[in-house]
Amino acid sequence: MAYVITEACIDAADKACREECPVDCIYEGDRMLYIHPDECVDCGKCVTACPNGAISSEYKLAAEDERFRDIAVEFFDAFPDASGGAEDLGPVGADHPTVAAWETGAPT
Amino acid sequence: MTLIDEPVAPARELTVLGACPQDCPDTCAMVVTVRDGVAVEVAGSKAQPYTNGGLCVKVDNYLDRVYHPDRILHPMRRVGPKGSGEFERISWDEAVDEVARRFTAIAADHGPEAIMPVSYLGTQGILNGLNVGDPFFNRLGATVAERTYCDAGSCTAYAMTIGDTAGVDPEAMVNSKFILIWAANIMSTNLHLWPYIAEAKKRGAKVVVVDPVRTKTARAASQHIPIRPGTDGALAMAMMHVIINEGLTDDEYVAAHTIGYDELVERVQQYTPEWASQETGIPVETILTLAREYATAQPSVIRIGVAVERHAGGGQTVRALSCLPALVGAWRNPGGGILQLPLWAFPVNWPAFMHPELLTPGTQVVNQYLLGQALTGQLDLRTPLKALMVYNSNPLVVAPDQARMVEGLSRDDLFTVVSEQFMTDTARYADILLPATTQLEQEDIMFSWGHLYVTYNNPSIAPLGEAVPNTELFRRLARAMGFDDDPIFTRTDEQMIAEAFDWSSPAMEGITVDSLKEQGFSRLNLPPSDEYAPHRDGNFRTPSGKTEFVSSAAAGGNFVVPLFRQGSNDHQPGQPVDPLPHYIPPRENAAADPELADRYPLNLISPKSHAFINSSFANIEIHQRVQKPATLLINPADAEARGITTGSVVRAFNDRGSVELLAKVDASTMAGVTVCHVGHWRSDALGLSTLSQLNPTTFADLGNAPTFSDTLIDVEPVAAQEG
Repeated sequence: MAYVITEACIDAADKACREECPVDCIYEGDRMLYIHPDECVDCGKCVTACPNGAISSEYKLAAEDERFRDIAVEFFDAFPDASGGAEDLGPVGADHPTVAAWETGAPT
Repeated sequence: MTLIDEPVAPARELTVLGACPQDCPDTCAMVVTVRDGVAVEVAGSKAQPYTNGGLCVKVDNYLDRVYHPDRILHPMRRVGPKGSGEFERISWDEAVDEVARRFTAIAADHGPEAIMPVSYLGTQGILNGLNVGDPFFNRLGATVAERTYCDAGSCTAYAMTIGDTAGVDPEAMVNSKFILIWAANIMSTNLHLWPYIAEAKKRGAKVVVVDPVRTKTARAASQHIPIRPGTDGALAMAMMHVIINEGLTDDEYVAAHTIGYDELVERVQQYTPEWASQETGIPVETILTLAREYATAQPSVIRIGVAVERHAGGGQTVRALSCLPALVGAWRNPGGGILQLPLWAFPVNWPAFMHPELLTPGTQVVNQYLLGQALTGQLDLRTPLKALMVYNSNPLVVAPDQARMVEGLSRDDLFTVVSEQFMTDTARYADILLPATTQLEQEDIMFSWGHLYVTYNNPSIAPLGEAVPNTELFRRLARAMGFDDDPIFTRTDEQMIAEAFDWSSPAMEGITVDSLKEQGFSRLNLPPSDEYAPHRDGNFRTPSGKTEFVSSAAAGGNFVVPLFRQGSNDHQPGQPVDPLPHYIPPRENAAADPELADRYPLNLISPKSHAFINSSFANIEIHQRVQKPATLLINPADAEARGITTGSVVRAFNDRGSVELLAKVDASTMAGVTVCHVGHWRSDALGLSTLSQLNPTTFADLGNAPTFSDTLIDVEPVAAQEG
């Protein structure tokens, strides 16, 4: 179980959620932030912190945001160094391919 | 109701300050948004510094519970066979009359001891929680229920050593230089403490987790020390051995603020690191380093979880752990000491809720772990039980001995009343079922056993259906029983709230009911966390005022803190207690019982779930999706030896019973140790049984604590068995 960051974060990364996360599990890609599915402890603080309403429980995702669950899992599979605390790591500087190729304003 | 702000139309929207009621140390301050009388959001309060805007996976989804279609909303009477869950709706008057008539008749025929309350902490508000039924049952003369689910052994041991003190302010742990988390998965069961630990770690503290399982907490720590279940006391005693023999003690502190040091020095000599290594499975070098770092990195703090008591020597384990801080002078500074239950800082007016003066002297006491035996004629009772009243609890899941409990609850001559929000496994066996409110529908005032804030729960919505708070339930029953000649039984909630604390206590200075209603919470009037070091100069709440390595309270024999037994001090366990800390090995392991371990070679531990609180929330869909079906974690080596793969169905069994579970092969648990989180309902289980089939009813050494973690089993694939 984890919370999942969705499309509303793309190119809008506010990072307020990172201040709230008690376990420092919100990692910075290039165009958006990603919650580590194995490190998230389900406290939900990021949901209310996000000014863009971009974060949901993985079990309460809107249908069009369902894909972001897999995006998060695949992002952390692709960047295994992104673990053990986001602050120490700093920005990963890259995104999941789907996010990298995302055309803002034209989601499919 | 407190209206914090009231926006204009279209919808009439209110924001109400509440408090999480669940059996958890964190007692979060909640903010409930209500639109046109319907709660639409439950969130954490940003204003409360400790819980700081967060809730958790259980209570983020609280509305799923409140408005769940399965809520019990009306009184009901059983019409089908016991356990069938077949009921008909009746009125409150009919229900209350029937309960009063049956209780009266049973008391006349068999004596009032034939009636027993069964309850714990489904809600932990001062009004509706632990003691809500105590005055009623004390006046009735019913059997006293001993409720030792949580920290009862730990409390006895802790009080014997340092007294009923809050000890450490968790907010002060940012100052700690060495944090030893022992038998606690903070990330799942004490989440709001983690930011303080993380901050301390950021400031350079070392964080060490002692746990048989590599939990999320263990993974986030600086070091994880896996330990064989039930051998924690060996590690604690060996730490004292190293600290004393290597001269790492704070001699000035020990001389001024402890008693029995010389005896302790002699006692610990037998507990060498080499011996402890054999017992615990921890390398000698790791034990040495742990002891040295714990002693020298001051202030050091030990955070113990409730799980630390759940084996044969659980009490003595906490005795040893409670001795350690004085030995190294950890109490000198804020953030040093041992964090057990800061509940002791709250001047709760317990007598006004238990009313122990109403007890009939000598009334029989039955521990709820023995309920299955008590109901099936296997306990030597002066008065056999003919009626139960269950509230705030689902004993079929949370107590051991499930098979006997089912047999007992099925007795046709047993009259069972259950007050519940849902049709739990236990509720299905009710003769009369009564609808209970959730926290949004009731008023309450809360202590905490994890921080130093009083929290107020303003009701935010009207009760659903005909549900009533527990306070109202017992007012109705008391009136029907004719107890309303005593004003204790006619107190309104408002009157009870006025009695909840000793408001004249220094800890409550500046705090009033009105200020709490308005702000939702208030920190006790204690020194700021950066200055909170209550035992810098001793002042322990023991008879000597010192940390008692040699405990004077041991002379009275083993006891359960009366808070856990309706205020009664009768029929205490009383067996002799060695006044010095010592090691008691688990009953069920290879060293203590090789024959048993030969047949059942795997330890089973059953920690609290991430998405459930005990059995609460285990029927709610989103919580089920998070928690997943009941799953047994098994180490790859043990799995391979048995041909078990992830996702397969396995049978976990011992002489007490058998449970079918899904297997998950997982190296996060030690070889030889299996793990299954507690709380899944029997009705959802693969084979109509849950873990409590497998757990022993035997008590730990102190305070009649349970021994859930002192359980040996074996596991086999179900298909192999059938094939």
